Amino acid sequence: MSNVAVMGNTGTATDTASTARAPFAPWDRRDIPGSFSVEATARRVGNYKWTEMKLFEALGGWIATVPELDVKMRLGTHCYHHAWHADLWHKRLPELREMKPERLTVPANEAMERFIEAMTEPEAPELTIEKLVGVYRVLIPRFIAAYTYHRNNTSEITDAPTIRSINFILQDEFDDWRDGEMLLQSLITTRDHVRRAAEHQARLEAIMVEAGGITGADSIGTGDNTNTEGGA
Amino acid sequence: MSEPSTSTATAAVSTAKVTVSPEEFTFVEYDATEIATIVAELAAQLEIANPIRVIVDETTPLAKVYEEIDAASSDATITLHAESGALEDRKHPQSFSPKAARESLGRILLRAHDRMRPEFADAPPDLELTLEQNAAWDTYCAGRLARMGVEVNQQRWRYNHRNRFGFDDGVDAKFDLIWSSDDLRWSDIAAGGG
Amino acid sequence: MRQFFPVEDLARDERFVQTNMAERMKDGRTAIDVKASSAKSRGATKRLTPDRHDASDAARGLMHGIMVGEIQALEGAGRTAHDFATGDGTNDTVPFELKLDMARQAWDEARHVEISAKLSDWMGTELGEFAENTVLFEAACSNDPVLRLAGVNRALEGLAIDVFTQMKEFGDVAGDPYLEFCEDWMLADEVTHVKMGSDWLRKVTANDPDRRTKALEFQQVVDKLFSFGGARGESAESSFSLARRFRELAGFTDDEVDTISQMDHEALEERKEAVRKYRERVGADA
Repeated sequence: MSNVAVMGNTGTATDTASTARAPFAPWDRRDIPGSFSVEATARRVGNYKWTEMKLFEALGGWIATVPELDVKMRLGTHCYHHAWHADLWHKRLPELREMKPERLTVPANEAMERFIEAMTEPEAPELTIEKLVGVYRVLIPRFIAAYTYHRNNTSEITDAPTIRSINFILQDEFDDWRDGEMLLQSLITTRDHVRRAAEHQARLEAIMVEAGGITGADSIGTGDNTNTEGGA
Repeated sequence: MSEPSTSTATAAVSTAKVTVSPEEFTFVEYDATEIATIVAELAAQLEIANPIRVIVDETTPLAKVYEEIDAASSDATITLHAESGALEDRKHPQSFSPKAARESLGRILLRAHDRMRPEFADAPPDLELTLEQNAAWDTYCAGRLARMGVEVNQQRWRYNHRNRFGFDDGVDAKFDLIWSSDDLRWSDIAAGGG
Repeated sequence: MRQFFPVEDLARDERFVQTNMAERMKDGRTAIDVKASSAKSRGATKRLTPDRHDASDAARGLMHGIMVGEIQALEGAGRTAHDFATGDGTNDTVPFELKLDMARQAWDEARHVEISAKLSDWMGTELGEFAENTVLFEAACSNDPVLRLAGVNRALEGLAIDVFTQMKEFGDVAGDPYLEFCEDWMLADEVTHVKMGSDWLRKVTANDPDRRTKALEFQQVVDKLFSFGGARGESAESSFSLARRFRELAGFTDDEVDTISQMDHEALEERKEAVRKYRERVGADA
């Protein structure tokens, strides 16, 4: 569907000139349809909410376990960011005809549950590198990917509220990713640190690949999730 | 402050004879001989040969210190009074900190040394100093201690000085002047640095 | 990660040394005049004001206490966001919105740690210069989330209101351009935290009066601990007082504040008695 806007008055410059304008200005290229139905969007949003919740809970729990003061404080700030994201999704679900948000607040699949368990497993005070790698080198990049794919493929007209939330959330994800990556670069200072970071990342990436991503195989449009509707 | 009547520990590291009371501490884990040694070392650095008495009030955790000297002469007895908090390791309450002791006792030893100069004849006794006079004199002593190689936190003393005189550039400039000086007179201290 | 995290495992770098109330109360020293008459007390007042002879050092010590308290409050809020499953608030579940509030509190406390660290630098205090009393995190350790709300959001944050008010006034009188400003911003957040605690305690125990009673009893126990042996109180012998006006803003009733004041007085008298007995035992002249 396309609109060619007819702009300006076609009559003479008098007080009776028409005010009829095309509904979309020439520079407004938003269009329909998008790639996701209401139900598919709700399913993705439920997966986002579940994962953001798990992330903020993990960050909150880790605060007491890390001895590094700057990391401790950053985790507190980021805990709130992801809690707020979970809240945005919690509020979006009823708008997508899901009146019981907890029903769709589920992991995409069993592998995502295993991923979160593996990611949150490090607790000892000397494992700050592992804790941060799991979040900032595996999970948050996956969030950025899934949110970007969703934003670029959903309808900017029918699904504007989701896009608005994604835009705000993505800003946090990029900022938090940068914070976490810089902390990691400051902590990884020996070959042994590099080895630990790489091994832990590989372990987690392998599980994430099994999961397919935060919303399963179709997280970034490269897989088929038709058999995994409703999550785990 | 109370003055226990127990016998005293001594140190003769330098020409100054230093006595500390109490000899045995009850409320805190301090060692009188260690305190005496630190004071004797400071006295040697300052070339003070006067007899020195150190009286520690261990019943309070506060950190007030002050000195008394019974005459402005080289054989007058210098008395250093210290509440136990002034010598305490703040990370391990009731434990002794040589660093805190050097800093606290060093400051008041320097005051006593100042009092032996005629330029400080007009200085009131420590317990009669105003808060501002105390602060300015502390700045003067802390600066010299730092140059003597004693570990001193300058920002702590700058904050103390600001609390008494104000938070502005003029006060900071006076602080810097007093801190870096070595030959001030009492009138300079009383004026907050001139 | 374990569901609950013990206070002994709180992670710190090597600058910090931790202690607890039991250790602190073993100290037989006190600045309070333990004799029945206060006529010979060491100073007319122990209140933290700029005209105390040790004002700046006392303020530094309190600021450090605030900083480690904020670290523990941050850790406590984070743990409460983590430790309980999401549910309707019965048993050991917590409502989703309560978790969000705890995450929000974690963010606020993180800022307070940042502010306190900056102020410590301003005042010439090194991080870890003083021992860290872990009693604050201990108030956040209960397995019952309702007790955590009572211990942290009512008792601990209430204490924060008192301390920040004292420091704010100190900074104002001293003319310190940063102290008054920073303490006021932190004070605003603490009023929010107390209200969060009051509101959630009421909601989660709406149908469980026994649980509410238990929570309020726990809060009183913690309130008394947070008097620190009379360091907080309305007597001139206490370093800081109850901030009645800001507590009222945060939702404390006059009766509640009067109860805390009474407990502070009891704590002061108990501390004096404990010190008297200690001195008698060691044969020291009080």
